[in-house]
Amino acid sequence: MASVAAGTEAAPSVVPRKRRFMERRSWIALLIFLPPSLILFTVFVVLPMIDAATFSFFNWNGYGPITDFVGFKNYDDVLTHRNFGTAVRNSLIVVAVSLLIQLPLAMWCAIALSERSVNINVLRTIFFLPFMLAEVAAGLIWKFVYDGNYGLLPIIGDTIGVEMPFVLADKFWVIPAIMLVITWKYFGFHMMIFIAGLQSIPSEVVEAARLDGVKKWQIVRHIKIPMIRSAMVISVFFAITGALQLFDIIIPLTNGGPSHTSHTIVTFLYQFGILRMKLGFGGAVSVLLFIACVVVALAYRRVLFRVEQT
Amino acid sequence: MKRIALAAMLGLAAILPAHAQTVVKHLHITSIPAELELMNQAVAEFEAANPDIKVELPFLENEAFKAKLTTLLQSADAPDVFHSWGGGVFYEQAEAGVLRPVEDIVTAEAKDAIGTAGVSAFTGPDGHLYGLARDVGEVVLWYNKALFEQAGVDPASMNTWDGFLAGVQTIKDAGITPLAIGAKDKWPAHFWWSKLVVRLAGQEGFEAAARGEGDGFAGEDFVKAGDYFLQLAALEPWQPGFAAAAYGDASGYFGDGKAAMHLMGDWDYGVMKDNSASKQGIPDDQLGILPFPTIEGGKGDPTDTLGGLSGYLFSRNASDAAVKWVEFFNSAEVQARFANANFYIPIAKGAADGMVNPFKVQVAQNIGNAHWHALFFDQALGPNVGGVVNDISAELASNAMSAQEAAELIKEALDDSN
Repeated sequence: MASVAAGTEAAPSVVPRKRRFMERRSWIALLIFLPPSLILFTVFVVLPMIDAATFSFFNWNGYGPITDFVGFKNYDDVLTHRNFGTAVRNSLIVVAVSLLIQLPLAMWCAIALSERSVNINVLRTIFFLPFMLAEVAAGLIWKFVYDGNYGLLPIIGDTIGVEMPFVLADKFWVIPAIMLVITWKYFGFHMMIFIAGLQSIPSEVVEAARLDGVKKWQIVRHIKIPMIRSAMVISVFFAITGALQLFDIIIPLTNGGPSHTSHTIVTFLYQFGILRMKLGFGGAVSVLLFIACVVVALAYRRVLFRVEQT
Repeated sequence: MKRIALAAMLGLAAILPAHAQTVVKHLHITSIPAELELMNQAVAEFEAANPDIKVELPFLENEAFKAKLTTLLQSADAPDVFHSWGGGVFYEQAEAGVLRPVEDIVTAEAKDAIGTAGVSAFTGPDGHLYGLARDVGEVVLWYNKALFEQAGVDPASMNTWDGFLAGVQTIKDAGITPLAIGAKDKWPAHFWWSKLVVRLAGQEGFEAAARGEGDGFAGEDFVKAGDYFLQLAALEPWQPGFAAAAYGDASGYFGDGKAAMHLMGDWDYGVMKDNSASKQGIPDDQLGILPFPTIEGGKGDPTDTLGGLSGYLFSRNASDAAVKWVEFFNSAEVQARFANANFYIPIAKGAADGMVNPFKVQVAQNIGNAHWHALFFDQALGPNVGGVVNDISAELASNAMSAQEAAELIKEALDDSN
């Protein structure tokens, strides 16, 4: 938002009179359209945020009035908690996998599937299906796939003659297993964003390049990818914030186990804050996560703004 | 015309109150269809006798129930009656004022039926009665006789800890999984630690530690309990992939005859069948209960049992009708049906008399004769300390933590919440 405001201020000074007129008219539109979203946003986002921030300074088990002020003790407890480091590490791995594997894969599929035809539409739908599936359902399906006794994985292992590990019970394999599910689940979403971007590229540009004898991969490299930059900006942003808030898939898959090795920041919050009825502790985790997300969002905007200007 | 209209209105007014039913929302965690059918049957009988009361039976799965209850109890959607395992969680609810004291409403007859133990289990720290006990349960060492025979292990040789470890090794050498465990849920693992503590520290030791006296849970007996647990874990006695197995998975594994033993509550008799691939589970003549091995020098009484004393609590807004319903449901006559169908062992006097299932009869006797019936530790110690007990138990089962560290973590959690 900051950069948008900065952008209008920097606009040439010929417009002010016209703008003032526009403002008066837009007031009416504001009065009609703003309250619903403002109220919803306040009730379901801002107030809970303030609540959580308040809890984080108290020792509270969720019942009765909040009275036991403990200052920054909850923050200290979170930062020194034996499993918090693992949770942060896992969340960062999810961010990295999203950016380095999921998005390139989505881009590759998008470029391959951006033509309009019936067959391609079918493929596109198939790739997009996992995204439409509820997270918990996806988690349960993959729990069955990975199940070492009755699952799909040991069957595959048997046919190729390799003994498969119980991936969800293994402290090492559990992370790659979760990453596979996340990539499978979300790459279709990013693929769709990229496809929409690719389809908005005027066909004349591509055609002209083709007539000039530009090779296929060069078209991709120098025309298509630069022209869907704004779609990529959105995708990267969603990928990062989504990864930081990952929760629903982990709970049915592993519940953070084995030995708390597969917690993300949010499942950590749920396990140690909510289930243990230490809401102040949970509040502190959520405030730290919120700060991280805000920092990422602001830094991201700033970097982009700089890139846009050059 | 006016008179007719007036008469009609009066008539309506007279009829209306009769239709205004009191709704009793009874939140339960029963997942076995046949047991739910018995509950529905009881509801139908109760509603027929009390047309002004309507009983609803919303359901929440075990883990979801625990997670949601705190919020639920403080919302407008709070159930009138809900399941409780008693102990620390119940005390926190009582202290927070989200429960309704019912000692003046519950009839003397209903109190008498559940006995002193049943009343005191649901009496809060402030001396008020907040609920009624329904059933007792015990964590026992279930074993599969056929697999023991196949491995050539004499069940009697497993009465001591050393004998038990040797037996586990023999079973494993015979290519059979000695023990099933649902370590993903963690609480099944905490039964091992708890049973060892019951043997080693006994009632006095445990209660002193829970009060934070002396070294508390970092004391010698508790470290020793961790050490014994690690001795067992070192044999790798669990089914493959146990760390990702939930209780239901482990129960089914045992029910399918793939593991020789399962340390679990008496309720597993039904759940094991329900979770087995054939839905039949292990036939009665192949199933047995082993006494938990005794430990030399342990301070616990050999008769001590570990388990539950569960029941129903009344929430703040519960009506008198809710109490009336629970009294009916908890009567010996209704509870006897659940006993006869082997779902649980009712606490109501006389309800368990008709029980013929030898396992349930044995468990009822064990609890009746117990010097100390220890309440599930994760419930007795409350959600925070109990949660840590569950954590360290899952770690110890995976041989991923030292006994000293485990003991200190529990002490730390207890110090933290005091």
